[in-house]
Amino acid sequence: MKQTHFCGSPDHRISRRGFLGAATGATALAADMTVLDVLSRPALAEDLKRQQKSVILLWLAGGASQFETWDPKPGWPTGGPFAKIPTNVPGTHISELLPEMSRRLHYTAIIRSLNTKIADHGGGYRLMDTGRRDEPGVEFPHLGAIIAQELAQPDSRIPDYVEMYTSTEGRRKGSAGFLSGRFNPMFLTESMIPENIRRLESISQIDHHDRAALRRLLANRFSRDLPSSAVGCHNAAYQRVRGLMASASLFDVEREPAAMRQHYGPTQFGEQCMIARRLVEAGVPFVKVARAWWDSHGQNFETHRELCADLDQVMSALLDDLEQRGMLENTLVISLAEFGRTPKINGSLGRDHFASAWSCTLSGCGIQGGALYGKTDEDGMTVVDGEMGAGDLFATIFTALDIDYEKEYMLGSRPIPIADFGAAPREAILA
Amino acid sequence: MKPTSLKQTQEGKREDILFCIAAGSQPGQYFFGSSDFGVHQLDISNEMAQPIRFEDGHQSYVTGLAVVGGNLISGSYDRQLIWWDIESRKPARTIPAHNRWIRRVLATPEGSRVVTVADDMLCKVWNVETAEFVAAFTDHRPLTPHDYPSMLYAVAISDDGSLLATGDKVGHVSIWDMESFAKVGELEAPTMYTWDPVQRRHSIGGIRSLAFSPDGEKLAVGGIGAIGNIDHLGGPARLEVFQWRLGKQLFVAEDNDHKGLIEQIAWASDERWIVTAGGDHKGFVTFHDAETGERLHQEGTSSHIHGFVFDRDAGTLAACGHQHWAQWNLQSEAEVG
Amino acid sequence: MQRPTVFRIIGSLVAFLLALPALGRGDSQENLSSAIDRLIEARQQAEAVSHTGPIDDYAFARRVTLDLAGRIPTLQELTGFVADTSVDKRRQLVDRLLASPDFAYHLRDSLDILLLARKKTDEPWRKYLLEAARENRSWDRIFREVMLPERELPGDKRPAAFLHARARDLDAMTNDASVLWFGVNIACAKCHDHPLVPDWEQSHYFALASFFQRTFPTRTGLVSEKFDGKLKFTTTEGEEHQAEFMFLSGTSVSEPETALDKDVLKEIGQKIRDAERKEDAPPPPQPEFSPRAELVRLALEPGEHDFFSHNMANRVWARLIGHGLVHPLDQMHSENPPSHPELLETLAQDFAQNGYDLKRLIRTIVLTRTYFRSSRWTDASEPADPELFARGMVRPLYPRQLAMSLRVATRNPNGMPGLSAPDQWMSAREKFEQDSTALAARLPIPSGLFQVGTEEALFFSNSQEFHEDFLDSGNEHLVGHLAELADPEQIVETAFLTVLSRPPSDTEKGAVALHLAQRADQREDALRQLVWALLASPEFRFNH
Repeated sequence: MKQTHFCGSPDHRISRRGFLGAATGATALAADMTVLDVLSRPALAEDLKRQQKSVILLWLAGGASQFETWDPKPGWPTGGPFAKIPTNVPGTHISELLPEMSRRLHYTAIIRSLNTKIADHGGGYRLMDTGRRDEPGVEFPHLGAIIAQELAQPDSRIPDYVEMYTSTEGRRKGSAGFLSGRFNPMFLTESMIPENIRRLESISQIDHHDRAALRRLLANRFSRDLPSSAVGCHNAAYQRVRGLMASASLFDVEREPAAMRQHYGPTQFGEQCMIARRLVEAGVPFVKVARAWWDSHGQNFETHRELCADLDQVMSALLDDLEQRGMLENTLVISLAEFGRTPKINGSLGRDHFASAWSCTLSGCGIQGGALYGKTDEDGMTVVDGEMGAGDLFATIFTALDIDYEKEYMLGSRPIPIADFGAAPREAILA
Repeated sequence: MKPTSLKQTQEGKREDILFCIAAGSQPGQYFFGSSDFGVHQLDISNEMAQPIRFEDGHQSYVTGLAVVGGNLISGSYDRQLIWWDIESRKPARTIPAHNRWIRRVLATPEGSRVVTVADDMLCKVWNVETAEFVAAFTDHRPLTPHDYPSMLYAVAISDDGSLLATGDKVGHVSIWDMESFAKVGELEAPTMYTWDPVQRRHSIGGIRSLAFSPDGEKLAVGGIGAIGNIDHLGGPARLEVFQWRLGKQLFVAEDNDHKGLIEQIAWASDERWIVTAGGDHKGFVTFHDAETGERLHQEGTSSHIHGFVFDRDAGTLAACGHQHWAQWNLQSEAEVG
Repeated sequence: MQRPTVFRIIGSLVAFLLALPALGRGDSQENLSSAIDRLIEARQQAEAVSHTGPIDDYAFARRVTLDLAGRIPTLQELTGFVADTSVDKRRQLVDRLLASPDFAYHLRDSLDILLLARKKTDEPWRKYLLEAARENRSWDRIFREVMLPERELPGDKRPAAFLHARARDLDAMTNDASVLWFGVNIACAKCHDHPLVPDWEQSHYFALASFFQRTFPTRTGLVSEKFDGKLKFTTTEGEEHQAEFMFLSGTSVSEPETALDKDVLKEIGQKIRDAERKEDAPPPPQPEFSPRAELVRLALEPGEHDFFSHNMANRVWARLIGHGLVHPLDQMHSENPPSHPELLETLAQDFAQNGYDLKRLIRTIVLTRTYFRSSRWTDASEPADPELFARGMVRPLYPRQLAMSLRVATRNPNGMPGLSAPDQWMSAREKFEQDSTALAARLPIPSGLFQVGTEEALFFSNSQEFHEDFLDSGNEHLVGHLAELADPEQIVETAFLTVLSRPPSDTEKGAVALHLAQRADQREDALRQLVWALLASPEFRFNH
């Protein structure tokens, strides 16, 4: 059976790294590994290289309009009032609402050909966050959990999967599904400081430490002769507590210089993306920042004038920041929603839900910057070239991160590929 | 004399969205600004007449129109003002006017000037004859208190041409002297902002319409009230009337029967009532008592109304909106009785 | 998944089983329990696998109290049981627990998690389950009431919650019902014939769904059925079929022809729409032919009930033993035979023939030797495959078990007589149950790949709530009680017995004594840390 989960307990560490399994004394080796040892083994070097990669998902919850962002159609009845503007990629135009991004498209691939069919919020969210349609009785892992499973260090001292979602509308917590509970997200809502990450004032640092040592003593005695991975994982979870507590400062934007904060802008979305960069810099494999709520059934143009200004500044600042730190080649920035919006403009000057022809972007790690993939017709009603489903998008994302998109998890006796059956990456988007 | 009924005399369906309307010099002659980026002319005194589209000029939605003297001046989200030759239906003069969407174009009563408001948050005054820029002024912040772009939707001029009012997205109103362009008063209608800090973190409201009473002492402010779900225009149509010099609010009228934005307001010449129009997915024309705000009469319409012109003397109201225009005759108590 | 040992010895196993005398159906429960052990041990012998020894009294009291009462034993219950010298004190304890108020609460909580799975929190539904558990209502009756609430208990929305929570989602209704009542997951067969299991074709999925297709939720929290409507589906070859009303066994029913007048149907339609939308609408009319009633009838029909009885026998077994006879629990089909076919058959038949008596089923299982095997594997060999049941499985506590046990462990043991003072205990239990709701809701439901997450470890470590609820030094609490004890030895002894239900080892005594001695100037804090370390240990987190 393939290993479907690990939690940092030693037995999992071995089985996850199959190549170590053959070596004698594998446990000791795993414990003492130095980077040099690692690099002398090509397979392991590959593995580590992959593990430096991270994802930041900008989740435009509620469904941003493709017309007002990445696939403008000015002059057509469905196009709305906004002009298109040229970008630093010759021949590619985007909406005038994204002037900053128009100067940074060399980082970014635009996909204009998503046809995902599901146009209700819950269903669209699950489709775009798991890469496949619901199946009753199966809890599929969400993108963040899969990425964390593939990229997190077993003994990591930082969170594996962080989600920020401040607005209450459409707030849905991602899930590890049938993967290990370790890969459930650390879910931040009202406060950007994770729950229970700080020591209570009533206990001193020393006592907190000694108490944990006492717990470990009891746990070790108990765990001896007890063949149970669940018990091992319990101990692993407690062993991660101190590391997680030490990572509390990652969530503190006050630690960023004023100039940097200004670059991201004063909005909450800006601050959260700055936190996302801090987390990724510290090695967190997956951070999702949700900006809700784009669901512009009424006043679509006012809504996008308002929210695109934020998206434009923050996404640009994030890409600049990652680039300047040399992190962009290892960080994949995704902008995505549960669906796009209708070509038809309704009586409230709104656009409704639309999943037949819409857009998203991939930037940075493994991505062919400046790529423009797929095409919609003049009115934006249908995809005419390069149609992609959610599974194809996932396959492309995995490939960009050097993760084999055909890898399978076992659910009981049933193999489940990480990108849905029949999905394939789109090479033209990949570096 | 109070309005008791509206009798629709004519209407027309369209493919496009009509954002603004101006009355021509002939009875029954109207101009519309459209989502097809064009200006259209319609003569409804001739029932067979088809609307005529002017030649291309703007590159975005046409949202402001003024007929002044023999001039037709349009403003658009493309930031430009166009002076049209009505005869040839060609642009006579095109000028870059603002840095952001132009929201409204309005002529002064005596016909020498035209004013514009736009999302660069400026109110600008132009010479009608020469198209020369006269003045620009603002008292509206470019960013909302939540650091998102604000918008300057509404402008009104008093009947005697001495006063001008501007109203923005966050509910701030400034009143200006038209001689000096000095600010002479301000009002706040913050409910109309509709910022939702918890569920959806955005806003779709704003002050969308303003109108001075004929004596210039009162100012009617139109928009939308608190919205539960700001994905939709699901709030009450909201009218606030102020004695602006005193900063005193006279009344607030909220309408939950016909929801949405109040897009345009006009006063009766005797100041006894106020007519408003607007809507959500559907539309409304509503008459309010100007003293109490009480609803005197109301007509629901099948589509959102973006603008109207009201001829006080003829008692006709012509409105345009989502894929639709219509004209009504106003009937009053006296006539019916 | 491979079971190599099974294949290796399958021939000899079959021969062995055939040699066993048939199990008498009318045997007493004890005989049945022994027969189960013989079947289990026969296979162990056949596979030359040793089994672990029985657990001691402390471990037994903890394991069985967790399983039957849904909490750890109180200090008084524990020491009373250990001191008891009667020969069959274990059986007595089992019977005492089965008769206790705790049993009904725990059964209720177990059924709630199983059936509603937190789809929503529904106090009336929980009250209904508690009422059923208190009178040991038979499983078939619960099945009928939950699946046919509008006919079995008209107007009572409590049992309707199961269907009501899923009634807008035909797939969820179909698959959840199939998984939970019949142990069959046929979701895969929705889009195509099951790729791995020839038993389940696409037509099976839609046949089962057609029993639910007319079900709708009313505004008032009830469910009812429409008068018509047929489910159509398209095969992978693109052919369109109309689904039959067919049970998993292959038996189908046909709908009698009815000739309802068009106007009557129209009127009924209006009433149904009203019931769906309006709070004050009268109950909708009920059709004479109810597909859902047909499903319930078929599922319980002699000769058809195997799915129903096998599923629950298997689920209860898995819950108490830690591994299903059919495993995973929702994979009852020919490609995944039971590890002990005759055992499952016997257990299921006994269950069906004795009126689907859950308490009897539970009692039968906890009286086996298999139930109280130690979970420690000290043998040098590889730990035996779980499906041989040669060792006790370590089982994570369910949310309510853990939340309740935290309460029980951290009260002053002097005020916790437990079942030694039943009248007093009843109201205490009710209060603990209520106090545990919020905490239980944030704890994970154990699943096949269960792992404690860091969220829980952080909650135990740093939450104000946890510290206030469980580490208070007031007199009513364990920390306060320990602070009043003078003898360090007694402190350690009491803390271990109260929280972990066992005395400390010498090493542990030494370590704790040192911990306390080093903190003589902050004694209360030191005791708090001790109790925390016990609560946060895996020994407390699992049933083992």
